[in-house]
Amino acid sequence: MHLDPFELHRPESVEETVRLARDLGPGFDYLAGGTDLLPNYKMHLNVRPHLIALDQVRELQGYTPERIGAMTRLANLDADPEIARWYPALGEAVHGVATPLVRASGTVGGNLLVETRCFFFNQSFFWRASLGFCLKADGDRCHVVPQKEKCYATFSGDLAPALQVLGATVEVAAPEGNRRLPLDELYAADGDGIQRHRLGPGELLVAVHLPPEARRVRSTYLKLRPRPSFDFPELGLAAALTRDGDRLSSLEVAAGGLETYPRRFRSITEGFVGGTFTDDRIRELAAAIQAAVRPVHNTAYPPDYRKRMTGVFVRRAVRALWEGRGAS
Amino acid sequence: MTAAPSPELRLLGREIPYIEGPLKVSGRSEYTDDIKRPGMLVGKLLRAPWAHAKLLRVDVTKARAFPGVFAVLTGEKYPTPFGVLPITKDETAIAVDRARYIGDIIAAVAAQDELTAERALALVEIEVELLPEYSDPRVGRTRVDVPIHEKGLNHSNIQKEVVQHFGDVDAAFRDAAATVRVRASFAGVTHAFTEPQCTVAEATPDGRLTVWSSTQVPHYLHRALSEVLRLPMHRIRVVKPEVGGGFGGKSDPLPHEIACAALALETGRPVKILFDRDEVFLTNHGRHPTFNEVRIASTADGQLLGYDIEALIEGGAWSSFGTVTTYYNGVMAMGPYALPSFRYKGQRVFTNRPPSGAMRAHGGTNIRYSVEVGLDELAEKLNLDPFDLRSRNALPPHSTTVNEFRVTSTSFLRCLEAVRERSGWAEKWRRLPYGHGVGLGCGFYISGSNSPIHFTPKMPQCTVHLKADMDGGITVHCMQADIGQGSNTLLAAIVAEVVGVSLDRIHISPVDSDVTPVDIGSYSSRVTFMMGNAARKAAEGLRDRLLDATHQLTGYPRDALRVGVERYEVVHRPDIGATYLEALHQAIQSTGAVQSTGAYISPPVGGTFKGARAGTAPAYSFAAYVAQVAVDDETGVYDVEKVWAAFDCGRPLNRLAVEGQIQGSIHMGLGQFMGESMDYRGTRLMNPSLLDYKIIMPHQMPEVECLLVGEDDPEGPFGAKEAGEGPLVATLPAAANALYDAVGVRFYDLPVTPDRVLKGLDRRRAESRVWKGH
Repeated sequence: MHLDPFELHRPESVEETVRLARDLGPGFDYLAGGTDLLPNYKMHLNVRPHLIALDQVRELQGYTPERIGAMTRLANLDADPEIARWYPALGEAVHGVATPLVRASGTVGGNLLVETRCFFFNQSFFWRASLGFCLKADGDRCHVVPQKEKCYATFSGDLAPALQVLGATVEVAAPEGNRRLPLDELYAADGDGIQRHRLGPGELLVAVHLPPEARRVRSTYLKLRPRPSFDFPELGLAAALTRDGDRLSSLEVAAGGLETYPRRFRSITEGFVGGTFTDDRIRELAAAIQAAVRPVHNTAYPPDYRKRMTGVFVRRAVRALWEGRGAS
Repeated sequence: MTAAPSPELRLLGREIPYIEGPLKVSGRSEYTDDIKRPGMLVGKLLRAPWAHAKLLRVDVTKARAFPGVFAVLTGEKYPTPFGVLPITKDETAIAVDRARYIGDIIAAVAAQDELTAERALALVEIEVELLPEYSDPRVGRTRVDVPIHEKGLNHSNIQKEVVQHFGDVDAAFRDAAATVRVRASFAGVTHAFTEPQCTVAEATPDGRLTVWSSTQVPHYLHRALSEVLRLPMHRIRVVKPEVGGGFGGKSDPLPHEIACAALALETGRPVKILFDRDEVFLTNHGRHPTFNEVRIASTADGQLLGYDIEALIEGGAWSSFGTVTTYYNGVMAMGPYALPSFRYKGQRVFTNRPPSGAMRAHGGTNIRYSVEVGLDELAEKLNLDPFDLRSRNALPPHSTTVNEFRVTSTSFLRCLEAVRERSGWAEKWRRLPYGHGVGLGCGFYISGSNSPIHFTPKMPQCTVHLKADMDGGITVHCMQADIGQGSNTLLAAIVAEVVGVSLDRIHISPVDSDVTPVDIGSYSSRVTFMMGNAARKAAEGLRDRLLDATHQLTGYPRDALRVGVERYEVVHRPDIGATYLEALHQAIQSTGAVQSTGAYISPPVGGTFKGARAGTAPAYSFAAYVAQVAVDDETGVYDVEKVWAAFDCGRPLNRLAVEGQIQGSIHMGLGQFMGESMDYRGTRLMNPSLLDYKIIMPHQMPEVECLLVGEDDPEGPFGAKEAGEGPLVATLPAAANALYDAVGVRFYDLPVTPDRVLKGLDRRRAESRVWKGH
C-alpha cells in the first residue's frame, strides 16, 4: 500500500493555521499524531490533497493540570503521576489507548477527534471496492444497517468519555476568534457516524480545560476490548461521582465505543443524584443505561454482548467509586 | 524439571543461542525484501473482487500502454496447473478462465514503481459472468450447480473423501459400558507470520532464472517453477534468504512466486513482489475451518474400546495440502493412547473462500481438541481422575497402532507423571474455588512425515555436504530451510559436536539450489530428525578423515583415538594427539579441501492399505499439559494463568530452541482457543489485518513451565525428536478442560471468546446446574 502524494503544511501559530485552513477549504486534513490518519490514507479513505501538520503550532503544545494542549502526546500524560492522581479516569483512559508506540505519537486532540470506525469502513481500497463503497467513503449505502441515509460507524476514542464525566470544556480556534464549549458539544448527538465532530470549516481544537471540581470527584474509566492492549474500545465506560455520607451528591457516566458519538447519560444519572445510594439503586442505574445504548454489529464483539457489558461496567465502576476503591 | 544434559555431549543438550541472532537483532540479516537488484521493477497483482466468476475477457491493452509499465500478464501464457501435492495440481499462477475467491489473481503487472503498477492495474478491463458462490462446506457436500472445480465428486464441491475402519467399532460401541460424544466447530485460523510473502526474480541473458523467495520449501518451489514456466530445473536457481516465520503458510509453492518469475522472464528485468498484509490474509493456506464429531467407547474401568470420528473440513478455493489434511483429521487422533478400534469418515470441501492449507500441527489440532475434551467428559462419567484415564490407556513403547503406525520411543507416561506433580494437580483439580480451574490435555505428533511428497527421482529426504579447507572453517551445505525455528543453529551444533570443534568454525551456507543439496523443506516437523541424522553422518565422515590424518601424524590406529576439544588424541595417552588444525592440514595435503556427505532416508514403516502413509513417521512426540485458568463470570473474560508443559521430544538438542518452540506453540494454540478467527460474512473475509485478527498479546500469555522429560529415541539424531508442532495440540484442550473445572461449562465452538463464555454460563444457569456452589 502506498500513500498518495499530498502537500504538507507546517504552520507555527494558531492564527496561521486557521488562515491556512480557511484558504484550503475542504481539501485538507489536520495531521496530529498521524497514527490513525496515515493508515487510513494508505487505505485511500477520504484522502485529501493537503495536510496541515500541527506539530509546530505553539499554542497546541504542553499542558498543565488545568489546560491540556491538543498536541500533548498521550505518552507524556501517561508518564505523569499527577494526571493519574488528579484525574484517575483520564489517566486510565490514556493508559488504555493502543500501545506504547502509538501513545508516543498519538495526541489528546487526535484521540478526541479520532475517525469513527466500522468493519465496512476500515478496510483496504480493494476490499471496499469489491463489496461496493459505503456512505462514509466513496459510496451511497450502509452495509451495517442496509439503507442510504445514515452511517453507523462507531466512536472509538478513549479520552472523550473520561473527559466528559470530568466536566471538561474545549477551546476552539476559528477564523472569527476563539470559543469555548462543553466537550459534549464537540460531538453530534444526532447519531451519524460520518461527521465525527461539530467543528466548523477551518476550526481547530486548541486545548482541553478541566474545571477545579474535576479534582474533587472520584472517577474511573473501564475499557472492554478483546486484548489488553492494541485494540480500540468495544466499550469505554467512564464514571465520576462525589459522595457525601450516604448521599450521592454528583454522578456522571459516559460511554464510547458503542454508538457514533461519546455519550453522556445525564438524563439518567440526574435522577440518582441527591438521594441515598444503595446497591439496588446502582443496579437500577446500570439497567437504565444498558437499556439506553444501541450498539450495532460493526466491531469485534457482538452488539448484545457490548450492551450487556455496559450494565456490568456501570455497576462495577459506580460501585467501586461509591465505596472509594479502584474499579479495575 | 529437565533431564541432565548427557555427559558425553559437549554442546548438544544445552542452551545454544541462535547463531544468526546477532545479525537478526542488529538488522543485518537479509530477508527477501532486503534484496535490491539493479533495474528492479515492482510487481503487483490484480485480485478478483468476485468470489466466483467466469472470466469472459481480460483486456490489458490500456494497462500495457501506461507509461512506466514493462509487462502485464494474464493467465493464458502460463496455464499449467501446479500444487504442493502432485496428485492435486489445481492452482495456476494467474487465473486462466475462472476466479474462485475474492483475492484470486487475475493479472500481474511489472512497473517502474508501486504507484505506476497500481494505476496500471486499474486500467485492466474485465468482463465476467458471475457464478453461484459457495461459502458453506456443508452445502457443498451434495450436488451443486457449478462445482468450484470440475473434479468435485459427483458434481459436488467435495475435494477429498476418506473412509477408514480398523478393528470393529460397532462391536466396541455395542460392548461399551460408557460412551461420550463431542461435536465441535472450529473457525479457520491463519499463520500470521511477521514477514509478509516476498519474491524477487531475475532472468539473465545466460538463459538462467534466479528466484529469491520467502519460502519454507525451496525445493517444491523449484519444481513448480520448472513445470509452469517450462524451464529445466538446472536453469533455475532458487535462493531462500532469511525467512520471518512460516508456520506452514510458506510451504506450498504459491501463485505469486511463479507470477513474479514470469514477469522477470517477460521483462528481462529483476522484479519484486512484496505482499501487503491483506494479501497475506487472502493467500491464507491456514488451518481448515472444521466441524468434527468424536464418539468414544470405553469399559467401565476406563479402558478405551474405540473411536468413531467424522470430520468436515473447509478447503477454500484450492486443494493445497488438503488430501493430507483430510487424512490427518482422522489419524492424528490415534496416539498417545492404545486403541483397539477406529473408524473415520472425513471430507474436504471446496468453497469460494481463501484456500486452507497446512498450519502448525497440521490436521492434528482440531481433532485433538475434540478427543481430549471427550476424554475429560468420559473421565467424569466414569468418576475417574483424567490422569488415571490417560495413563491406563497409554501406548506402550515399541508398539503398533491399530492403523499400523510404528511407534518406537514414547515417554508419555513420564510426561503425565511430571505434569501431574509439578502442576499440583492433586490439590487443585475440582478443589480450586469457583471461577478457578485446572485442566489436562495431551497429544502426540509426527516427527517428520515418513514419505516425501515427490517420489521421482528416488532420493534421500535430506542430504548434507561438508567442506573443511585450510582456513579451518567448515562450510555446511544443505537446503534445509531455517525459517526462524533454529535449524541452522542445530545443523552447526551437530557438526561441531561430532567433529569436536568450536561452533564459530561452522559456516552454514545460504540455501541456494546451485550450491546446497536437496532437503525437502521445513514442514511436518521433519528437520531435526531428518537433517539431524544426515548432518550427523556427514560430520562423522569428516571426523573419520581427521582421525585418519591423526593416525598418520601419531602412528596410533584410528580405534585408539578419540575426539577431544579442537583436538584428536590417543584414548590412553591423551597427551599424544593432533590439534584439529594439524589434523586438517595433514588431511588436505593430497586431496585439498576435505569433503564429506551424509543423507537421511526414512525407514519403511506403515501399512499397505489406501492412505496408509498418512501419519506415518519415523518417530512421534508426546505431550501432557495442564492449564490453569481464572474466569470472570460476569464478563466471560478469562485469563490462562499458567501452563505446565511436559513434552517428550526425545533428547532435547537445543534447550533454548525447544523451550522457544513450546512457548510459541502455546501462544499460537491459545490464540486459536481464545480469539483468533478468520471471520467471514459469506465469502468475504472481514478481518484481513493484524488489528482485527486477534493474535493474543504478551499480556495474555501465561507463565509456561517446560518439563522436558523425554528419553532418547532409538533412531533420532542423538536421541532427538521433533518439538515444532507437537507442543501445540495439547494447549487447546487443556485450556478448555480447565474452563470446565472453573465454571462447569463445556465449550464446543472455537474460538472461546468472552461472549461465548457468558452464553455458556447462561445455559448452565438456565439448566439450574450448580457448579462448586454457584
